[in-house]
Amino acid sequence: MVSSKLTRIRISLTVLIIILVIGSTAGPQHVKAQQAVPAVGVACTTDVSPNPTFNLIAQSGYIQMPDMNTMYMWSYALSGGIFQHPGPILCVNEGDTVTIVLQNQIANYMGNPVRTSLIFPGQENVLANGSPVQADPANNSLTNSIAPAGSVTYSFVASRPGTFIYESGTDIKLQIPMGLFGALIVRPTLGADHVYNRVDSQFTPGEEFLALLSEVDPYQHQAVESNRFFNLNNYRARYWLINGRGFPDSIADNNATWLPNQPYGALARIYPYNAGSHPYPAVERFINVGTEEYPFHPHGNNGMLIGRDGYPLEDGGQDLAMEKFSFNIGPGQTWDVVFKWFDAENYNPVTNPIPVAAPDLVSLTLGMFFSGSPYLGKSETLPPGKNTLNECGEYYIISHNHALFQLDSFGQTMSGPITYLRVDPPQPNTCP
Amino acid sequence: MKNGISRREFFKLAGGAALTVAGASLLPRFLRKTLLPEEIASAQEPYDLFFAGTDGWMSIPGSTPPYHPDTYAPAPFTTYIFGFRNLTGMDPALIAGQKNKAQHNAPLWWVDQFDPSDPKDFKVQITNLGLAQRPDLVDSHTLHWHGFRNVIPYFDGEPTGSVSVPVNRFFTYVYRPRDAGTYMYHCHVEDIEHVTMGMTGLVFVRPLQNKYGNGAGAPVARASGGAANAPLGYVYNDGVAPGDPRSTAYDREYPMFLSEMWAEGHWNDAHIQESDWSMFKADYSLLNGRVFPDTLAPDGGGFDPLTGDLIAPAGRPDLQYQPHSALVNCNAGEKILLRFANLGFREAAMTFAGLSVKVVGRDATYMAGRDGTDTSYETDTLLMGAGESYDVIFTAPPKSDAGYDTYLLYNRRYPQDDDLSTQGQRTEIRVYAPGTLPAQDPAAGYGI
Repeated sequence: MVSSKLTRIRISLTVLIIILVIGSTAGPQHVKAQQAVPAVGVACTTDVSPNPTFNLIAQSGYIQMPDMNTMYMWSYALSGGIFQHPGPILCVNEGDTVTIVLQNQIANYMGNPVRTSLIFPGQENVLANGSPVQADPANNSLTNSIAPAGSVTYSFVASRPGTFIYESGTDIKLQIPMGLFGALIVRPTLGADHVYNRVDSQFTPGEEFLALLSEVDPYQHQAVESNRFFNLNNYRARYWLINGRGFPDSIADNNATWLPNQPYGALARIYPYNAGSHPYPAVERFINVGTEEYPFHPHGNNGMLIGRDGYPLEDGGQDLAMEKFSFNIGPGQTWDVVFKWFDAENYNPVTNPIPVAAPDLVSLTLGMFFSGSPYLGKSETLPPGKNTLNECGEYYIISHNHALFQLDSFGQTMSGPITYLRVDPPQPNTCP
Repeated sequence: MKNGISRREFFKLAGGAALTVAGASLLPRFLRKTLLPEEIASAQEPYDLFFAGTDGWMSIPGSTPPYHPDTYAPAPFTTYIFGFRNLTGMDPALIAGQKNKAQHNAPLWWVDQFDPSDPKDFKVQITNLGLAQRPDLVDSHTLHWHGFRNVIPYFDGEPTGSVSVPVNRFFTYVYRPRDAGTYMYHCHVEDIEHVTMGMTGLVFVRPLQNKYGNGAGAPVARASGGAANAPLGYVYNDGVAPGDPRSTAYDREYPMFLSEMWAEGHWNDAHIQESDWSMFKADYSLLNGRVFPDTLAPDGGGFDPLTGDLIAPAGRPDLQYQPHSALVNCNAGEKILLRFANLGFREAAMTFAGLSVKVVGRDATYMAGRDGTDTSYETDTLLMGAGESYDVIFTAPPKSDAGYDTYLLYNRRYPQDDDLSTQGQRTEIRVYAPGTLPAQDPAAGYGI
């Protein structure tokens, strides 16, 4: 259903996407210089191995929702940085002794100081200020917590590679939904271009992507912002986000200037698989920090699930990896999926045309990312009055949560956890 | 246009050709209830299947005032839907008459795996008949084959990255299905709405092993003209003998398609109101487009050749547009394949009371690691998320006397149905003594 209200919003979204696509001039980039933030793909925060130290400040702040609503959040800032949601993507190496210093600057809630903490699911032998972490039930905390203005130093050895979560361990039914979480990536000894210490987990540098999936109940956030009680029995998520953004913001570049507190895009941008020139897959690291399962569905290609919760899918020497087209990720789980895309039929307008007469474009409804041509790398002149955001005949293949009611932002449909796989024509191409 | 013929003329030509072919056998092809790509391809039609998207009405028991039953619904129906219809070979004069006669779930269909030694394209043409109840809505439609690997956006049916089909226009999707297994399909325009309003169905790909058998002793399947004592089919190209524990051979197959209905969302569309889809809840959970005990009612009776309309199951005019039974009938000792696909929005826990089933496939993939490690498993509760498919096989338990034994199959996640007055996603598996039921016709029930 396209109401006039939605049409208006769509026009504004389209304008936004024009900005996004034009702004996204960088192709898939190599992440070797890890501190240089790529336009797309995982934007790591790193520190010197083998003793990386990260200073996180838990804060209150605001983010922009797809329906142009503004949402009060609790999240993190890097020391010296600004409030961001989600927290920084921390990338470390297997075997590193990781130190995370947490400071608490969360505003009081209903007149009471808000204690907070961090837990690191999947990490073992975590220390708080040099001693093994301990539950803190008196403060409704799974681990050592700190009062406002306090500070605690957590440390652990990142003993195995994979994708992990860090999140608040205090008053978790409130603090995690309010946004206190982030991703931790541990790179294997085998190399930064592997997901695990398995040769078959190698991926293409620059084609590493993150899908951190979360949700927001606006009434809960409004209650916290205005210091009112929120009855958790009434909890109901109405926004669903990917990397802290909803579509179309989700496909904007990392560090898009108009999303100052939501630095992470979710567009995946790759080249087609080619045994000679592009032999390795891309990797998508899925994380669910919400309250229910999120069944994520990539179009146009299956993914190979090679690891869950930081464990490769193997049993001794046996491979248990599975190919899937819907990744039903449970709360608190992380799933590592490698994928590649190629045209199974090698369609080509001259040597191998599609075996059907294509209708005139004027007789069809054209998508805003459609080039006008079925063929990768080709574009057609569109009928008068039709516009496209397509740049060079690249393909846009959607990838989205298939619990479809979650493709919604408080009533604004076709937003939320949607992103795209952008497949660029093989090089050399005419893409900007 | 290749031959200098407009698409509209091309289509009319195709309809005429289909009628000629149908006349040769005295029955319209769609009434023969067969779906045989080989035969269709030889008819030199521009498509193998012709689907239309439109609106219509279905019938769901229970009551969710004021939304269900919908006061706008013509008797004996209760609920406004969007849906597909299979109009393959139908006289163009009848096609327009199918507007406002959508079905849920969408037609079941299957395709043989693409055979490189005998290459044939499978073409599905769709059109858009518009919405009779909502002439103000001029939504386009597409067909998204969910899970089809490495397809170009043009044939993927996702409207943003390619094209969609306005009212009274046509588009043909071309498939070379290279991977056997169970899939699903749906319209991807206004995805939330068109899916939950009913434009969803199940499609599967029969493996090449059906056609050629395999070197390990699996014979050509009955579905591909094999001997009467051969398995009806194989789910995958498993490469093993039918007696091997890793075999996917089966004697009967049944689709189990999961969908949901939020009564208010359907009511809103009928009453020209906006829905806040973030408030979705599954008031009713459907199995093959029906709620128990309607799931046990027989299949619909195909198409009326005079009107093109669906023929309701005997004695059930209310199920005219829900033609798919979910009742499983089998003989003791037979291997029964259930093909599950979930296009509801919620995780389902499909539970087999008193039966253990073996999961042999998931998301159109044989259960094996990349090194061939067997990853199949036994279970009695199939947990499946939105957009997932599962292939499960069980051996029908012993039965020797008259009548049948009943085993229930139901969604253990029963609180998902807010209206607990209905039994939602439930059906029965009825086991008869060996030899009681005739062999299953692999073509029966498909294409509708």
